[in-house]
Amino acid sequence: MKTTRIVEAVLFASETPLAPAEIARASSDLTPAQVEEAIGELCREYEREERAFQIYPLGDGYQILTRPECATYLERFDSITRTQRLSRAALETLAIVAYRQPVSRMEIEDLRGVNVAGVLRNLQERGLIEVVDRAEGLGRPLLYGTTRRFLDHFGLRSLEDLPQPEELQITLRAER
Amino acid sequence: MRLPTPVGSRVAESDDHFVVDIERFQGPLDLLLHLIRSQDIDIFDIPIAEITAQFIAAIEGVERRLTLERAGEFLEMAATLVRIKAQMLLPRREDLLDEEDPRSELVRRLLEYELFREVAYLLSDAEAERALHRGKGYVEPRALPDRSEQPLELTMDQFLEVALWLPAPPAKRPHRAPVQPITVEEKIELWFKALKQKARVPFGVFMRRWKTRVHAVMSFLACLELAKRGLVRLRQDRHFGTLWVYRGEDDKDR
Repeated sequence: MKTTRIVEAVLFASETPLAPAEIARASSDLTPAQVEEAIGELCREYEREERAFQIYPLGDGYQILTRPECATYLERFDSITRTQRLSRAALETLAIVAYRQPVSRMEIEDLRGVNVAGVLRNLQERGLIEVVDRAEGLGRPLLYGTTRRFLDHFGLRSLEDLPQPEELQITLRAER
Repeated sequence: MRLPTPVGSRVAESDDHFVVDIERFQGPLDLLLHLIRSQDIDIFDIPIAEITAQFIAAIEGVERRLTLERAGEFLEMAATLVRIKAQMLLPRREDLLDEEDPRSELVRRLLEYELFREVAYLLSDAEAERALHRGKGYVEPRALPDRSEQPLELTMDQFLEVALWLPAPPAKRPHRAPVQPITVEEKIELWFKALKQKARVPFGVFMRRWKTRVHAVMSFLACLELAKRGLVRLRQDRHFGTLWVYRGEDDKDR
């Protein structure tokens, strides 16, 4: 069977992003590099044929997802659960964890000026953050970091995809 | 919103502008930034007296509107502002000109918070964008199979124990012969008979006599038919109360 068809079959059957190395397990004479190549070919094929889906990079893997133009039609089906949007408190907390990881609860609370125990628990339950370490020092507080699902939730390839501080719109008025 | 309010202007005046919905804010830093940015104030030269007054006005009654803990966060910031304001009023010693501005720590916190607030907005956009793409597996999972359908796994002893515990099966239900079909016409005749003796009859008497659904339905249909023809009147003074069947006016002429 052609490599592209094997890769397509594995991607089609998966509900989560798969890394090229994971896809390569489908056949003994398949390498991650060949998988990457096949994915590129499939992307062009779907583009050419104007398919309703495309292969998107998410985290360190790839997943077949519907194209954004299809969203309005899919929303009409009750069987499709709405992706629950995060609250502002959750987003602010996630932003801090993403940039400052590994980070303790106290550091986050200091930055946001509010208690974040509940928000952290919620984000942990949703699998967006996890305990990655314990800090040295008093009480050895838990340190949090983002997960693979965090990248998936925001459609990011890696943490480097996060906006860099110099790209942000914050105006430091004294510097005008 | 640009407010040309000079420092030290009357608080009462600025009050109107800062009726803010405190629940909307993520915390004291968020509120403070809102006050500063919405008035185009230079964050490196915050008019601390004015901002403190506005902040305190904005959190008026916060302890009633928020939980104790959230209210405490706002009150703590108010205390910090008041302390900075006091420090600003103290005369600075000439020989300590390069002493740190009492506001600098607050400014650092505000700028840092603003950075993450900005990132949070960008993340929100990214989240919305990502939500437009759907993968497989968004369809709700099927309900779990009914437990009663699952194969039983138990030993003979367990089975026996349960079997002995169970009460004896109830006696067989008495055999019932199918009821004779009855027509609405027959029931109408029965109503006439009953209403010849009495001016009004409770609908229930016919139920008690026959006790089967077919008879009840037929009696009711007969009643409705008679009422439609104007031969009887139906009365019920409240929901689920007794339904009375009255002899109609026309009845006298029969």
